[in-house]
Amino acid sequence: MFSNTWNNILDWFRDRSDRSRLVRSFNESARNSFVSGVAPTLLKAKISKGESSYKHQFSNWLNTGFRIQAFTGRQLSRDELIHIGKVILNDETLVRKLVVLGWDTLEIHGDEGTYGCRWQLKDHIPLPKFNQDNQ
Amino acid sequence: MKDTLIQDSLKVAEQAISASSDKGDSTNIWMWVAIGEFAIIVGLLLAKKLKRKSNAKQRFKEEALSQDVDFNNIIKSSFHSTELYDILKVKCHPDRFPTDPELNGIADKLFQEITKNKTNHKRLEELKIEAEQKLNINF
Repeated sequence: MFSNTWNNILDWFRDRSDRSRLVRSFNESARNSFVSGVAPTLLKAKISKGESSYKHQFSNWLNTGFRIQAFTGRQLSRDELIHIGKVILNDETLVRKLVVLGWDTLEIHGDEGTYGCRWQLKDHIPLPKFNQDNQ
Repeated sequence: MKDTLIQDSLKVAEQAISASSDKGDSTNIWMWVAIGEFAIIVGLLLAKKLKRKSNAKQRFKEEALSQDVDFNNIIKSSFHSTELYDILKVKCHPDRFPTDPELNGIADKLFQEITKNKTNHKRLEELKIEAEQKLNINF
């Protein structure tokens, strides 16, 4: 039991570090693309509350949303939001990483307007069923 | 006589104490070395004992985390993949090669691959080069 608790504590710290690193890498790439003119809009990723009904076996207790905000200065159309979401969801490696790091919701928002789009990540990746004792 | 004896015995005791305290310093060093070694051994044993046995969930997680994500491609795809896809789907459509069955087959495969990767800019760029070489398309 002590061993389990100890490993859970280590995992928590490791996951936290990996989560921050992933968000930082995304933001760095987005910033570089915007500065170099590759991307016309600045994208920014951050961790949000998420949707509790989207939980899966890897989900964190809190802050399970991966939110991407597009700084366009105008209200993004639904198609634009969906396209950015589809690009993320079609990258299987990224979705798998997001899932194992405890995120269960992907949210895309603009910086203007009050609406956005969100998807549950487990719909876009085949998650194997693990037993209760994690064997 | 008795006083002299007492004084002598005190001197001897003093010498003995000073000698033992000199020796004590070196003993102390070795004692700390031994304690250090013991702590290292205990630490290694504990680390071995506490190390989690790899299970299916753990393996799934490690495998997912070991892969690299191309964020630059994701950002680029978010804004430029639709444009490239629209060009490719028109230029590489199999219906544009109705007379040559070989070219039609190649175009069919390319078109399927293009549709599959419509949101992956990097892959679409590769397919564009492939189309230029195999189908002699001028973009």
